[in-house]
Amino acid sequence: MKNRRRSQFLARRYSNKQDGVLRAYDMRSRGNRAWAIVIFVVCLAMIAIVLFPVIWVMLAGFKDVKEFTRSTAIIPSSFSFSEYIKTWNQLKFSRYYFNSLVLIIGAMISAVVFNGLLAYVLAILKPKGHKVVFALVMATMLIPPTTSIVAQYVNINNVLNWAAKLFQVDNYQTTILPMIPLWLIYGANAFWLILFKQFFEGLPREYFEAARIDGCSDLAIFTRIVLPLSKPILVVIAIFAATAAWSDFLLPNLVLGNGPWKTVMARLFDFKSTINVRPTDIVRAVVFSIVPPMILFAIFQKQITKGVAGGGIKG
Amino acid sequence: MMKKLLSILLVVALAIGMLSACATNTSSSTDVAAPAETSAASTSTTAAPEEKVVLKLGIYPADTDEAAIEAMEGVITRFNETHPNVEVERAYYKYATDNIAPMAEAGTLPTIFESWFTEPQKLIRAGYVRDITDLLEARGWLDLITPAIRSLLSDADGKVYGIPRDAYALGLMCNVELFEEAGLTNPDGTIQYPKTWEELAQTGKKIKDATGSSGFVLLAGEDLGADGWHFSNIAWAYGAKLVTDNGDGTYTPNLNSKEVVDAMEMVKSLKWTYDILTPDPFSEGWATGFTQIGTGAAAMYIGANDAVEQPTANNGLPVDKLSLVPIPAGPGGQYSLSGGTPYMFAANATDAEVNAALDFLVAFGKAPVVDESTVESLRAQAATKLERGVPNIQRFPCWTSPEIQAAEDAVLAEYTNVNANLYADYFAAVSTAGNLHTEEPGDTQAMYKELGKVIQAVLLDENSDVQALLDTAQANYIAILQEEGILGK
Amino acid sequence: MEVPIKIKNHRWKQDVTGWLIMLPALILFAFFIWEPLFESVRLSLFAAKGYHTTDFVGLDNYIGLFANPDFAIAWKNTSLYVLCSLVIGFVVPIFMAAIITESPFLRGITRVSVYMPNILPGLAVVLIWKFLFNAGDTGVLNILLKPLGELVAKISGQVYKPFNWLTAPGWAIPLIIVMLTWKAAGSTALIYMAGISGINPDIIEAATIDGAKPLRRFFSITLPNLGSLISTMFILQIISVFQILYEPMMIGGVHNNQVSVMMLVYEYAFDKQNYPKAAAMSVLICIALLFLTLIYFTVNKLVNRDDSKGRTKA
Repeated sequence: MKNRRRSQFLARRYSNKQDGVLRAYDMRSRGNRAWAIVIFVVCLAMIAIVLFPVIWVMLAGFKDVKEFTRSTAIIPSSFSFSEYIKTWNQLKFSRYYFNSLVLIIGAMISAVVFNGLLAYVLAILKPKGHKVVFALVMATMLIPPTTSIVAQYVNINNVLNWAAKLFQVDNYQTTILPMIPLWLIYGANAFWLILFKQFFEGLPREYFEAARIDGCSDLAIFTRIVLPLSKPILVVIAIFAATAAWSDFLLPNLVLGNGPWKTVMARLFDFKSTINVRPTDIVRAVVFSIVPPMILFAIFQKQITKGVAGGGIKG
Repeated sequence: MMKKLLSILLVVALAIGMLSACATNTSSSTDVAAPAETSAASTSTTAAPEEKVVLKLGIYPADTDEAAIEAMEGVITRFNETHPNVEVERAYYKYATDNIAPMAEAGTLPTIFESWFTEPQKLIRAGYVRDITDLLEARGWLDLITPAIRSLLSDADGKVYGIPRDAYALGLMCNVELFEEAGLTNPDGTIQYPKTWEELAQTGKKIKDATGSSGFVLLAGEDLGADGWHFSNIAWAYGAKLVTDNGDGTYTPNLNSKEVVDAMEMVKSLKWTYDILTPDPFSEGWATGFTQIGTGAAAMYIGANDAVEQPTANNGLPVDKLSLVPIPAGPGGQYSLSGGTPYMFAANATDAEVNAALDFLVAFGKAPVVDESTVESLRAQAATKLERGVPNIQRFPCWTSPEIQAAEDAVLAEYTNVNANLYADYFAAVSTAGNLHTEEPGDTQAMYKELGKVIQAVLLDENSDVQALLDTAQANYIAILQEEGILGK
Repeated sequence: MEVPIKIKNHRWKQDVTGWLIMLPALILFAFFIWEPLFESVRLSLFAAKGYHTTDFVGLDNYIGLFANPDFAIAWKNTSLYVLCSLVIGFVVPIFMAAIITESPFLRGITRVSVYMPNILPGLAVVLIWKFLFNAGDTGVLNILLKPLGELVAKISGQVYKPFNWLTAPGWAIPLIIVMLTWKAAGSTALIYMAGISGINPDIIEAATIDGAKPLRRFFSITLPNLGSLISTMFILQIISVFQILYEPMMIGGVHNNQVSVMMLVYEYAFDKQNYPKAAAMSVLICIALLFLTLIYFTVNKLVNRDDSKGRTKA
């Protein structure tokens, strides 16, 4: 009797399932019911494993340096936010947040505009030689830019020095100049370009033909027809660019240096060479650095997960 | 086919355009860094002192350090009273190996900045800092720099490129609370500290048994440089001579001698015989060591007089519970590694700018001469230390100037917050002739790294072959020196 | 065949506009990606003072790399990272995707949670795991696993000792890969899940009617249908793990057990300011990656050819 109820319950739950291999009718077999339960337990375990480190770091942020170094308890002895506030103020995180925000906004615009325009040309206009360009872009996916970070940095530094001379500034790091290459670098991303290109290729071609007959220029077609139709992909790329820009630290650390535009992650990377740093400061700084992306994720999780899944299939 | 070829050509043309554009940039930035022109032009500036000078103050404290900023603002105010023509630009700069080159190349280094004790020779060779010999000579400061430190700041021709902020000598920092708990105290409030490395192992054991805290923090962390830096003290105590300077710019390493092996065996025994090290020496770096003794997780750590704020104010140890004692001796004697934090000056700084910086140091209390603002600055600094719970102890003399020494002593007497006996033996030991040892010459960082790897290996494996590991370190270091063309025959 | 939208007599004009619209993005690609590749090669053949190249020295920089005692170790470690990531990191997402797909409970929440680490900054993740892996009683994993450890110790009759995660011989590289997998697997799993959802359910129904059990269905239908996706992920995984840099650099542990080739580039460039040698090392890494990609494509081609042959025969 009990067995029967169990199998009915599982069968009901499985009745809407269209993908994967288990189906509602499988729930008649005891062995398959066992599978269903094991699978459920494994799912719970995955959630626990994924969430634990994040929960731990937030809890650890409540501890003072002595408790953190010596206590073997996961739960802190007090939940007062005073330690968090102290670290926030001492490390001046307000400014780093602002700087990261500036970086992110520029990165999002640059990622959407430049990759979007290039994808539009490669997917729709297809001028002579577009295949060569596409092949060159694809090649960059195989030889990732991290390996040429040294040359990349040398180039950026040269251009910035030249710009500093032009604007008669002494040290480009005291100005907002070094933010510009950090924004622009997000305009050259092969992965996002391909996501755009695939999306644009799926747009109905009749629209463009019609617009062209109406006398729209190529650029106008992009701004008036392609962009409004592409909101889903624009959101996805903008979010990808935002998280990437928030997370980056190698190049920002080199280019922004100790200037006033240092970002949150560049500050975290500083802990590598800072001498008077306490482990609790590191822990709290880590919390400060993961909260904004988590909020962004909470808001846009649907678009993000869809974007990832969609991009992967064809890419 | 033809179309394809054309488009390839177009892309290539584009790439070449980029290349050549960058090539021009490279040459233009060379001009920026050319120091000769700028200093030549500056001679005229010194002639007219009322002319405005901008002093880019790289030694301005980090924005996190509010107490230090407050003290520094006071210094700037006093300085501007006597030097109204100098505009002080607050240009906090934290020296790091990955930011010095780009800034120097761009000519954007602050007028005056602090570096590390390991760096002056490297900076001098790279041409990133300027020769200030004549300016020091004119002020009569040149011969006041302690000779050992002066050689660290000079090139082969004896030109001086920097002045010392502080000197330091390594000692043994002890958490007095743990010594008290283990009953290792004397009636006068001092502690029964270990005199030799053997004793250190036993003292560590006693403390660990009595308190559960670790006896000693040994660095074996990712920053292999700090690991080797500490280890060289131990090696010298066992009679090792790690590197011979051949005097012709070449060096002969000797990392696998009997003495080094003995020292390394001692390190190994700290882990495998006495088991007094912190649970994870591989995660210990210069900063975590202070956290360990500051929070009472460990009792002893190698540290210097210029870092007493680390375990106390920064990591919570009560100000009177820190003791700094002489570094333990070995069969080869007792040696403290000593060096100094140098002030260096940007290669493109003008004479007027450097002079402004030197005047500023007088007001700041870091110069060999004293004026009214000096004493006020020293007082302000001592008051800040009192407030923050940092032990107020004497500085390690880096100038042979009785004048500044007397001023410092007077201020110190006024602002005492610790039992001087907890530091007395340390200062006695480091002022004993022959006890101080400067860093080994050569590619010191590379040597530290090789020694650090050996330390990691002996702590990992109880059965590791110390001699074989050091043989490898020696071979590796020889290869590095050879590649750099500075290996002696 | 798709025909680009063009009105015939304006063809060249259209080409020019097309190129003009692409130009800004192409300049960015050229400046940030293509040119640095050439610049790396050029820099690696010169001596330099700071960034300014001085004399042409041929292959001296490359030869000099061999004097670095870490050179061979770094290549060995990097290969181990890649191997480990193929054993651990490559299989886990497929497994996760299969499991999440099969569960009608909490599916949305599981999907979202497993993806979450992917949006966390990589550096923050490393710093968190550094504390998790801490040795001694206060290390987080040791706190969590202490009851288990004591039980095991009791059974085997030994004294319980906290585990030295990263410094235990042979553990560093697998543990770093575990951390990377924790961060990245969710995102790859989502891609596989989309792949699984794209499989025509009729095939599964048909197999069920033929009497195939669920496991059998998974191995003979689901997995083969994911084939091209799996093969793409395979090469992407190799390329990304090959460049592992800040994870081993920041997490602590024993230098020789975890130094990677990209770490040597970083050390040369930003610790020793030896830009030509850093560039030479980068070039070697690029060549290695190209070589691996070439092997991949050749093997892929062979396999696909065999496949199609087999199919036509059947």
